[in-house]
Amino acid sequence: MRSSTSSTPFSIREFDLPDETASTQPLLEVDDLRVSFATRGGVVQAVDGLSLQVGRREVVGIVGESGSGKSVAMYSLLGLVRDSNVTITGRVRFEGRDILGLPDQEMRSIRGHDIAMIFQDPMTALTPVYNVGWQIAEQIRAHGTATKQQARTRAIELLGEVGIPDPARRIDQYPHEFSGGMRQRVVIAMALSCNPKLLIADEPTTALDVTTQAQILDLMSTLQDSYNSSIVIITHDMGVISEMADRVVVMYAGRPAEIGAKRDVIRSPRHPYTWGLLGAVPRVESKRSRLVTIPGTPVSPLDVPAGCAFGPRCDYRFDACSERPALRGDGGHQDACWLDERQKVAIRQRVESSIGSENAS
Amino acid sequence: MSDEVLLRATDIVKNFTLRSKKLGQRSIVQAVAGVSLEVRRGETLGIVGESGCGKSTLARCLVQLMPVTSGTVEFNGTKLTGLSRRRLRPHRREMQLVFQDPYASLNPRRRVGDIVAEPLRINKYGDDQRIKERVEELFRIVGLDPASVNRYPHEFSGGQRQRIGIARALSLNPSLVVADEPVSALDVSVQAQVLNLMADLQRELALTYVFIAHDLGVVRHVSDRVGVMYLGELVELGDAETLYERPLHPYTEALLSVVPELDDGTRPKRERIVLTGDVPDPSDKPSGCPFHPRCPVATELCTTTKPALVELTAGRSVACHYPRHST
Repeated sequence: MRSSTSSTPFSIREFDLPDETASTQPLLEVDDLRVSFATRGGVVQAVDGLSLQVGRREVVGIVGESGSGKSVAMYSLLGLVRDSNVTITGRVRFEGRDILGLPDQEMRSIRGHDIAMIFQDPMTALTPVYNVGWQIAEQIRAHGTATKQQARTRAIELLGEVGIPDPARRIDQYPHEFSGGMRQRVVIAMALSCNPKLLIADEPTTALDVTTQAQILDLMSTLQDSYNSSIVIITHDMGVISEMADRVVVMYAGRPAEIGAKRDVIRSPRHPYTWGLLGAVPRVESKRSRLVTIPGTPVSPLDVPAGCAFGPRCDYRFDACSERPALRGDGGHQDACWLDERQKVAIRQRVESSIGSENAS
Repeated sequence: MSDEVLLRATDIVKNFTLRSKKLGQRSIVQAVAGVSLEVRRGETLGIVGESGCGKSTLARCLVQLMPVTSGTVEFNGTKLTGLSRRRLRPHRREMQLVFQDPYASLNPRRRVGDIVAEPLRINKYGDDQRIKERVEELFRIVGLDPASVNRYPHEFSGGQRQRIGIARALSLNPSLVVADEPVSALDVSVQAQVLNLMADLQRELALTYVFIAHDLGVVRHVSDRVGVMYLGELVELGDAETLYERPLHPYTEALLSVVPELDDGTRPKRERIVLTGDVPDPSDKPSGCPFHPRCPVATELCTTTKPALVELTAGRSVACHYPRHST
């Protein structure tokens, strides 16, 4: 996959690119990433050919159900999935530099510094045995030359920035003394401590209540503006995508099913799986009607069907689906489905009008 | 749906005693603080609220899985609170629970057929053959293959396990099913299947549901009427449609405004009201209206006087001194 916005040839490989060049080159490029685990039950192909680009200041949302490989993809590009049973292939470039398979030492200077991560569960992301100030300061000191005192001052500053009241007092408290939302703020403060260029947020609000979720999403947007970071947000909630992302990657069985601008994917989705995902969400705004369901259950990663992975659950499969479809499409909007454009539009309109008439009745 | 009241809860209070930080001292958490509600035969009453608001405790009190501290629960005209376990048993058949976590609510060491058959055996439904037939029928009703009765829970996916939980709840032909977050552990595509199944079953078997969830979209989808809880209290109750369209309580309004919605371009966006702060500690509730520290429209009055849940218009109750959209 190569979108038209990134036609710059990648001959420039220097580290400190001038700003103008930098803005045309994507911050992160993932090319045909494949991650497989050798397990007792066989080989699990968790990520199966993911390509995507994240531009500067761009928010990319990765959406998919559990087991679709969205987290594994992000963890493995950060070098967080390391085991003799794991095979990672493909190419990951960050600011033009290959980072897949970098030695630990070098990876460590990128991880936490240039690329930071926000985890789903703020309780397990923080260690319960140190106070939060120590945990934030540790990261600042590991990536710079700050003294203890400077790191502490910066940590207090950061806690204030993420909206924790009375940071000078709270800094000496332990994670259990914070509520879920406040803990997630601490994790965000930690992630921001080194002013990262890219923030990967893995289901950052899934463990939180809606009112807290709203606070955290707002906070992330505000901070993105002030820090000029790019964000990759992993979620299973299309609503969160709709609120946060510029571009969306829909994943199924470790493969991208559809990629495009948020507006295109949500308003004119092309892949049957995306139709199902969008139709299955009960909405606050809409009246009571029957939900669109996707028959069956998500595929077992041990037993991905040949051809189109979504085939067995798809209402519109035909002969061509026995072969794996590649991502195709115009401009920035691509999908991996054999149906041709006209057929898709026709089917979608039919489905939408049938839902509409049910609502009216 | 009829106007016949199947379940009536009056002023239910449930306290839990906590060991306090200081040795020997005890503190009390009021998980449910005086909730009164009625469930009509054939309807779905949705209960929403954030974690810790007491909705699960309320569910357990309604079906008498937990003794209430005070208040009464009447089911089908019989007062359940205060009945002995023996006396309660015939009524238990009539009200069943579906639990949140389909992994924790099925015994991993028993075959799923036995799990579904257990209520039948306990209640002496019939001989082995009749029980076997009933279990197979139940499997078909919830969309599972009757041939899989001899398998174990781990052989099923999350959605299938929830179907087993539903089959178990339906085994004795209950009239009331209390579902406590039945779909929150499931992926959206599977969640939609289970919600559709529950809707079909309600129609076919004339069930009454109390549906508890934190997902406002799910609750709206399934409910005829909705109750909103905050810190153990019911702050608003009303018919689902109007409650979602014109919330009366500022908390309901804020809650609805921040649900991430799909921007499909068909309707204008709601104005978001992002509440500040967290839900207060239930063992140390604010004075007056429990919502006042986070309420955008609170006044002096709210800090001192607690508003009662009053019926403002037909079928719509709210506990607020300054209800929204009321004029």
